[in-house]
Parts: sequence; structure tokens; C-alpha cells
Amino acid sequence: MTMLRVRDVSVRFGGIVALDGVSLDLNRGEILGLIGPNGAGKTTLFNCISGVITPERGSIFFDRRSLKFAPPHERARMGIARTFQNLQLWGSMTVQENLTVPMDALGGRNTFSDALHLPFSAYAERASSERARAILHALDLGRHAGTLAADLPAGVQRRVEIARALAMKPSLLLLDEPAAGLDGPETSHLGELLRAVRERFHVSMLLVDHDMSLVMRVCDYVYVLDFGKVLAKGRPAAIRDDPKVIAAYLGEESKEQPAKPQATRTIAARDEHPLLEVKNLAAGYGRLEVIRDVNLFVRPGEVVACIGANGAGKTTTLRAISGMIRPRQGRVTFGGQDITASSPERISRLGLAHIPEGRGLFPRLSVEDTLRLVSNTTGRQADIAEAYQHFPKLRERRRQAVGTLSGGEQQMVALARAILARPRLVMVDEMSQGLAPTVVHQLFEILRVFRDQGIAVLLVEQFVEAALDVADRAYVFGHGAIGHQGSAAEIRADRKLVSGSYLGTAVDAVGAPAANGNGHRIDHALMEVVSVKVPANLKRALEERAETEGRSAGAVVMDLLEEVKR
Amino acid sequence: MIRICLALVAFALLARLPVGFDVGFQFDAALAVIWGFGLLSLVLLTGYVGQVSLCQATFAGVGAYAAGMMFSTFHVDYGVAIAVGVLAAFTLGLVVGLPALRLYGITLAIVTLGIALVFDRYVFQDHIFEWFTGGSGGWRVEGATLFGLRMDSSRHLLAAYLVLLVLFCLVGLLMVNLHESGAGRRFRAIRDSELAAATVGVNLTRYKLLAFGLSAAIAGLGGSFYPLVAGSVSPQPFWVFTSLQFAAIVVLMGVRYVPAAALGGAFMSFVPDVLTRFGHGTLFNRYSYDISYDWFQIAVGVLLIVQLILLPDGVWGDLRGRVVNARSAMRGFASRRVKVA
Repeated sequence: MTMLRVRDVSVRFGGIVALDGVSLDLNRGEILGLIGPNGAGKTTLFNCISGVITPERGSIFFDRRSLKFAPPHERARMGIARTFQNLQLWGSMTVQENLTVPMDALGGRNTFSDALHLPFSAYAERASSERARAILHALDLGRHAGTLAADLPAGVQRRVEIARALAMKPSLLLLDEPAAGLDGPETSHLGELLRAVRERFHVSMLLVDHDMSLVMRVCDYVYVLDFGKVLAKGRPAAIRDDPKVIAAYLGEESKEQPAKPQATRTIAARDEHPLLEVKNLAAGYGRLEVIRDVNLFVRPGEVVACIGANGAGKTTTLRAISGMIRPRQGRVTFGGQDITASSPERISRLGLAHIPEGRGLFPRLSVEDTLRLVSNTTGRQADIAEAYQHFPKLRERRRQAVGTLSGGEQQMVALARAILARPRLVMVDEMSQGLAPTVVHQLFEILRVFRDQGIAVLLVEQFVEAALDVADRAYVFGHGAIGHQGSAAEIRADRKLVSGSYLGTAVDAVGAPAANGNGHRIDHALMEVVSVKVPANLKRALEERAETEGRSAGAVVMDLLEEVKR
Repeated sequence: MIRICLALVAFALLARLPVGFDVGFQFDAALAVIWGFGLLSLVLLTGYVGQVSLCQATFAGVGAYAAGMMFSTFHVDYGVAIAVGVLAAFTLGLVVGLPALRLYGITLAIVTLGIALVFDRYVFQDHIFEWFTGGSGGWRVEGATLFGLRMDSSRHLLAAYLVLLVLFCLVGLLMVNLHESGAGRRFRAIRDSELAAATVGVNLTRYKLLAFGLSAAIAGLGGSFYPLVAGSVSPQPFWVFTSLQFAAIVVLMGVRYVPAAALGGAFMSFVPDVLTRFGHGTLFNRYSYDISYDWFQIAVGVLLIVQLILLPDGVWGDLRGRVVNARSAMRGFASRRVKVA
């Protein structure tokens, strides 16, 4: 039976088409995966379903009812619950209070009777705190009930978000990147948890995540979005091997072989002292530790690519290097100087330029003014003509405000600005994000200009094939650490490894034993639930039987139920 | 039980405190509670729900004008006048809450400041409305009775003070209750993350409007006592700057705590008066000094900066935090000693 029907939904933000005629079906009891590269429109679709934004065209039906005019809180009452990618717990409340808010909101409580603490309110209060405790036990959060939500580590906060969503008695649970910021074992534990939650709370789920190992393991069916359209749909195994999907994630497999001189250069460079050296770097945001134990180096004049799934910690690494966030551990040396936790402006003055995601341009300044600004910040007269030489297109546009340029042209401005500052190393973050493939190709040609000038490049890139084309060496990130490294040619040859790091094949092997190890904890939670209905001595007997037979308690219960049936 | 006894003793002390002082101080005491209501309204609106408002004095003013007019025109019992004043403020609160449904932070602050300005300049003080509001001079209110009891500004000031104090304690108690109850949690959910609150079924429109309405009603309740206490209604006490002072002082004292409102009210009413009374003289019979009311404004500004650096949770909040810490430390110490023994 179809529970959620999305038909022809389109959304535009300004000139950008975020969703373009997306249709999707979710059946009752299903865990449906929604995947796709960055900016494919997954979160936008989520927001449409939960009512945070209104689609321009198309319709959404939930349990045969149209959601067109339902505000978010109405949808919540119909039974659609959601979690958030950037944790939206109420930090100043305890975990238990976080759970009682949705329960009360559904119960239609009266503010005045609450303020007077009338018997009705007191009774409702007890009932909801009782239910909150039951849910917390089921999710193994019982001991955190009295803690302020803001004081919990991110991994636990994610579980609390799921618990809060469950407190609404939903029939559909929307999970927006529940595995973001979790490491391998935690992710596989989450997978177990989601399946257990489905059984126990009778919910269907729509799951968005970049961690393919999770999606592949948990989901019954997967939709793939790309550029706001449904690219493919099917069973997880079929999706993993779908060439279209692999291409969307990794870019087209390129035919051309890397040029010869590049190889010789690399060999020549091998003896040189590293320009940038990162040792045991750890960093994160708030309580979230995103990267741990990252080691890498860049030699002068070398192009190095960092690849890996979203949320693996590439961007965070760049930010920690350039001083935009403070590293928690480790050392960063640049040109022989220790720049760990230095101020960003000092680091950039030493000759390390960082082009962040979103390019970091000033939209109201003209192209020429943006480039002139380089002379001010570096304290040295920069020759703008030189920039126009490399990027003839910018000369035509030099009076135009940067914000009105196309994405590709903006990226050119960012690159030109970096070149004019005469850095020794440029770090480029997601240069090709949101750009059409042909434009991306041009930009990578431009990276060769950097190489010719003897500028080293550290590249974070989604279009893996294109990145490996220009790079000398590459690091493959996974779960906040570097999984593999090697020359670009080696990495490219191991296509399985690369596609695995994006689509989850490689991680599966790591995840399996951990999943078994965590199975016990889920059963423990099951016993908590069982104990509500079953006398204590019976529960004890169950546990003993499970112990002696060496099976999980859940399996024993199933057996007993079978016996009873007979 | 001990707590209730302590509270009763504290209440008796507060109630008896102004007896024996001159009328000026008695007036200050009553005014302290009125300002306390204004600050309490911000504790609800900003401390609980996270909405910014710079027009709380306007709500108090509307309460004062409505109550004063009710009494002067119809000569009703003052209790009825208060009810009308609170209702008027509540209604205005709902209206002001409407833009808050779409606005956040600094923009909301500016809109509410604009409302405060409009009421100050173009309603309370303007010549066009002079037939209605009495212009910048206001009008006198005399011979009011509350439930049959005479509560005149000159001779029965303490009676009015007592009623105010009881009401303040009552409203404060209700607010503490509210904080821990379901509706209070929904308010706090809106403060911490509006997005999450909406998606778990909290009706934002309803609760934001309710918050503005309730907050305005609390400010209006205090304001509607003003004619009784001062014996007149005039625009000066409710001008824009009072609203700004409310905001500054409630942050200074601790925006999330009910007792901070009482503390702030006393601070706001007594300190300027003490300064103007005893602010002239010589130090060690040598250096003459002259501290006027203006110094109060400067002091508030400086204290606010100091507080934001040293006591980020406000004076009361920080004090409370320290007591809680000390208590748990003592408990830990005691239990450790038991273990050793």
C-alpha cells in the first residue's frame, strides 16, 4: 500500500532548479533510501514533504490526503516526523523534556491549566513522561534522560533526535543524514537500530544519507537524485552496480591518458622536502569530531587530490590547515614553519591560499575590483593583466559585478585571485560543485596553469575522474580519516576502491563484525520493552534460555511464539 | 515546608519594609513592582520564548492609559479599570505579535522599537490626540477605590503597594509553573529551534501570538496600577527609553529567571532616586561631586558590558548557578565523608 506519493514536484530557488519533476512512492513498512551527489535536491525534497518549503508545482499525498495546504505542525499531527541534518535538538532542555514536547503538542494541552498546574495537566504530564521513558529505554538512551541535550556527544544526539521523532507516534519517519559525523562502527550500529525501530514502532522511513554503506544495508529500495531529477531507482544491489549512478558520483570515466612530462615531474619532485606537512590532525565543530588522525603532505609544485564520500572530512581538513577552525590535535607545518592554529591571515600571507567551498567572493564587487583587492591584501602590486592573460573571458566581464557571473566564471575569478597573490600552495574546495560537466573540464585545464607556475595544489573534488587526471597523487578519505593513498594512476586503476569509498562496497567489510558486536545491545533494549508486559520471572527465564542456547533473546521469543501457535 | 515558611517571611519583610519611610521611598517601592512587571513580561517573551521586543513600556503605558481612562470617565471600581487595562495591553500584544510570525532577531527588534516610538510620540504625546490622552501633561487620577477600599496615591500608597506585591508574587509563581509545564516546554522549544518545534507539531502562529499577548498583558497589569500609585497618567514614564531600559536591565539581571525581574525592578526604581537624593555633596569634605539621574543610564551601560563579560547568565542567573554548584559540591563532600566513615 502506498503511503507517501510524491508527484511531479518542482522547486526553484531564484534561477536554480532544485527539483525538477520528481515523483516517488513509499510503501507502508518500507525503508526507502534517497541518495545523490551534493546539491542533487535531497534535502529540498525532504523540506517539501515536511512542509518547511512549498513546492512550485506538483503534489504530495500522505495516506491519500493531499498535503498542499497543511502547515508543518499539521503534517506532524498526521504522522510525519523528521530528523535534521544539522542537529536541531532543544539544547537547553533535558533529553526527556525533548521527548515530551512533541507528545504534549499532539495532546492539545491548555496553557492556562498548565500554568495553574491543574489536575488534568498534572496527569497528562505523568503520562507523557512515562511514555518518554519507554522510548528512551528502547533506544538505549535511558541513562541520558536527565542530561541537557546540548551536553551530549553528537552520536548520542542523533539517537535522541530519532527518539524525539518517535515520540510523535509517527507512521512515517524522515531521516536527514542520520549517519553524518559517525564513524564506521557507530554507523553500522545505527543501521541495526533503524531496522529494530521499524519493527518495534511500526514506522516507515525515508532515509537520506551520504554514507552508502548504511543506505545499502538498511534500505529496501533506493531512489537516486541528480540535478533535481530522479536518475535511477531500484533495489540497493542493482543501484550499486548501475553505471549511471557511478558516473553521477564519480564523473565520466575519462579516456585520455595523463601526459608523459607529468610523470617525470613527479619523480623529480619526489626528493624535495614537503611544502605542507600535516601530522595526526584532529578537528571538528562543537562536540562533533569530524576528522581524526589525518596525515598528509604536499611537495612543492605538486597537485594532490583528496577524494572520498561527503562528510568524510575533506573540507574540515582544509579548514583546519588554513586556520579557519582550530585543530584539536596534531601539527601543521608549511614551508618549514609551524602554522598549527595560526590566524588565517598570517597563514595566507605565508603563501597558502584557500579557495573555500562557495568560492568566498564578494558578490557586489566588480571583477576588476576583486582582483585589485589582491594588491591591498598582499601589500605588493599585482599585475591584473596577467590574470586576464590566463583567463581571457574575464577581461570581457571585468566591469561586471561578480555576483552576476555564471558559476564557472565566478570560479575563474576565485582562481585568478589566488594566482595573483603568488601563493606557494593553493587549496581548492569543491571547485566543480553545481557546475555543468563542460565547464568543469575547462576549470581543470586551468589547474594546469597553476602547475606550470610552480604552484602546488591541494584539491578536494567530487568529480573524481577529472581530479585524478590532473593530480600527481591522491588521498582517499573515509569516516574522518585517510583510508588509502597513492599516486593518481594507482588510485585510478583501483576503480573498485574508489567507487567503494563512495558507494559503500569497501566499507561493508569493515562494518560487518561491529554490527554483530552491537546486536547484543539491541536485544537488551528489547528485553526492556518485553519487561513492560511480561512478569519478571518469565523475563529472567527467557534470558537464561538465551544464555544457555547461545542465541539472542529475540530469537528465543520468536521460537516460543511458534510453540504457542502450535 | 521550610521553603514556604521562608517565602512567607520574605514576603512579610518586603511588605513591611517601606513602612516608616517617607512618601518618596514608598512611591519608589510601588514603582519597583510596576517595573518588575515590565521586566517579568520580558522574562516570558525573551527568556522563555526567545522573541525580542523593545516596546514593553508601551504595553505598560497602554495598560496605564486604558485603566486611567476607565476610571476617570466612568468612575468604575478600579478593579474593573485594571481588567480593561490588561485586556487592552493583551490586544495590542497580539497585534505586535503578528510581524513576529515572520521576523527574527534584529529586524523584529527594530519593528518593535518603531511601535514604541509611534506610541510615545504620536499617541501618548501628540496634540491631535490631546482631547483623548491629555497630551504631554496627561491628567490627574484621584480618589480611586479598589474593591471598595480606598487606594489613593497620597495616603493609601502602601495599600496599593501591598496589592501589587501580592499580584507580582502570584504571576511570578504562575510563570515558574509555566516554565516546567507542557506549554512552557513548547515555548522553550520555539526558543531553541523554531524549525524543530514546527515539525514536531507545535503551532508556531498560536504560541508566538500567545507569548506576545501574555507578555503584553503582564506588562499591562503592572502599568494599569501606575495611575493608582502616581495619582496621574502621563506619557513620560512609558517613553521609548523605558522600553530600552527594560531590555538592558532584564539582560543584566538574568533574562531567564523570574526573581531577576524583581531584582531589576528594585534596581530600576531605587537607584536613580537614591542618586538624585544623595548625589550632591563633598567627598572627605574636600572634593565636591554632583551625581545626577544621568549617571544611572551610564551605570546601566557600563554594568551591562561588565555583566556580559563576567556573568553571561545575568546577575541572578550566575548567583543561582553558584549556589547550585556549591550545594552539589557540599552534597558530594558529605557523601564522601560517609563513605570514609
